[in-house]
Amino acid sequence: MAINFKDGVILGADSRTTTGAYIANRVTDKLTQVHDTIWCCRSGSAADTQAVADIVSYHLNMYGVVNNEAPSTQVAASLFQELCYENKDALSAGIIIAGYDPRHGGQVYSIPLGGSLHKQSFAIGGSGSTYIYGYTDAHWKENMTEEEGINFVRSSLQEAIKWDGSSGGVIRMVVLTKKGAVRHLYLPDTNYTGPGVTN
Amino acid sequence: MGSPFDINGGACVAMVGKDCVAIACDLRLGMQALTISNNFPKIFNYAPSTYLGLTGLATDVNTVSDLFRYKVNMYRLREERHISPRPWPTCPVLAGINQTTGKPFICGFDSIGCIDFAKDFIVSGTASDQLFGTCEGLWEPDLGPEDLFETISQALLSAVDRDALSGWGAQVYIIEKDKVTQRLLKGRQD
Amino acid sequence: MPGFDFSNYNRNAALHARGVPLPKATSTGTTIVGCIYDNGVVIAADTRATSGPIVADKNCEKLHYIAPKIWCAGAGTAADTEFTTALISSNVELHSLSTGRDPRVITCMTMLKQHLFRYQGHIGAYLVVAGVDPTGVGLYTVHAHGSTDKLPYVTMGSGSLAAMSVFESMWQPDLNKEGAIALCSEAIKAGIFNDLGSGSNVDVCVIEKDKPTQLLRNYEKPNERGEKERNYRFPRGTTAWLNQKVISKEDMKKYVTIETLSGDDNLAAGEKMEVDV
Repeated sequence: MAINFKDGVILGADSRTTTGAYIANRVTDKLTQVHDTIWCCRSGSAADTQAVADIVSYHLNMYGVVNNEAPSTQVAASLFQELCYENKDALSAGIIIAGYDPRHGGQVYSIPLGGSLHKQSFAIGGSGSTYIYGYTDAHWKENMTEEEGINFVRSSLQEAIKWDGSSGGVIRMVVLTKKGAVRHLYLPDTNYTGPGVTN
Repeated sequence: MGSPFDINGGACVAMVGKDCVAIACDLRLGMQALTISNNFPKIFNYAPSTYLGLTGLATDVNTVSDLFRYKVNMYRLREERHISPRPWPTCPVLAGINQTTGKPFICGFDSIGCIDFAKDFIVSGTASDQLFGTCEGLWEPDLGPEDLFETISQALLSAVDRDALSGWGAQVYIIEKDKVTQRLLKGRQD
Repeated sequence: MPGFDFSNYNRNAALHARGVPLPKATSTGTTIVGCIYDNGVVIAADTRATSGPIVADKNCEKLHYIAPKIWCAGAGTAADTEFTTALISSNVELHSLSTGRDPRVITCMTMLKQHLFRYQGHIGAYLVVAGVDPTGVGLYTVHAHGSTDKLPYVTMGSGSLAAMSVFESMWQPDLNKEGAIALCSEAIKAGIFNDLGSGSNVDVCVIEKDKPTQLLRNYEKPNERGEKERNYRFPRGTTAWLNQKVISKEDMKKYVTIETLSGDDNLAAGEKMEVDV
């Protein structure tokens, strides 16, 4: 999931990867950097979303060098949409893009299965998201502070992890503001209360 | 229609001995249960003391043996080879003695080119399950040429007697450093 | 260009459509593992190759060379792991020759995932990629569909669950070389004994910073066949034969040229290459 807050955006995800009923990776990093302050949350086929993110990452870094200016979040979202829509028959990828750029501030985009693109104030996706539509709608507030935002994301993901068998492990977050990207980590050992900032 | 591996039938086995190797095959060529020929050898010679046994679809046994002859000839002309893993429905068995080191060598492949380097024996064909059993029981290390002949022959004959698609006689090659003995075995004709 | 030949594809598809079953490829119903330690990385594998329920090879090699300090453990379709690693090994060597730098594990992993993704899982190679490069120690898994994971300890193949149970109960963050080798070996043995698709021996490869890579072939042999107390050797003359033909070296000379070389070891390794200066 990803949300807008007062100073930027927050991305959050659980860390479970499954092959059938087997947990192939319990500490997966589903938050993938495609540019300095543009990140995405990957859900669906790991192979497909990694391949798409790698291609977008290549293009955005190329864009940054050629234009001597960081790409906007919208450019990144359009690139993702192009790949997801044109190859919709071959891909099973649900991607949320969130980024901060000085001109537009924080933005959140969602690209579900068919390859459509939706700009949203917050977005949830993946198998666990079905369990938290009600929770997020009931607790959502515009222009939260960073602390409120982190708590919103953490509590939402905690619910998803509780109810969805395919979600679990740790909670990873990335906070994107004008100050750059800051990673957070919340472990189940401490009921997802810490350690918090990890870089 | 059955699997291409089971249409024509056939069996092949190679074994390592002391300073020698042996390779043997049955002689049957069939179409399902109908026997077409009892003189279809499946072992081909490509260089002094280098022999290749091929089982599987007979048309591909011919194709691969011809193709390999062509490749071996071309190899002599230019020391560069082009690897193309082709899914031919044949399972080759290679046996020979390295002419410079004198070391015996055998290996087998699955139909898409995975190599099995074995230091004991290699089996292939519709009787491969039976051959695995007989070889596992009868083979022992450091057999001399004459003892190896008895072992490989009995292993093959016993195996093909329990396979409806193989048999009708057998051919055995015993390969030593500077001599190759080819023998035609007496086998059941049913 | 290296690659695949699809000339038989249509014939095989037509055959398959008429109910002909797919040919049996040797698959490595396998246990492979990897584990990093303070100064390097260890990978290990069992040595059983199977074709359906038959053990096709009791002592095959599942540890593949990519570069001197990058090695791969392979599970899945045996031929695919063999040829994919060989292809990537060639490209990695060409890449390091053209850049003049030591190859990196992540480069190799990226080349593998892009190759496997292109073939949409039809190349059945499941790999553990491990190595040491100027950036440090690397350990990844690459699945046949092209997804990758980066972890301090990994398992793959049909015995991965048994092996992972060993890692999850015995792994510690501050392992040394000996501890890592012992742990990997123990994980493989869990696969050998508890997974039917895995068996025979343990192969280990140790890749360490500033040290030559060690391939410990058959590091442990927990399944040695018992010595036979008697033998089944047949008396000579047991097998009846109808005729024989003896082909001596003299006869061979009629068809091919035979040169006898001296027993020099250097010759055995291969003829000297001509080099233009």
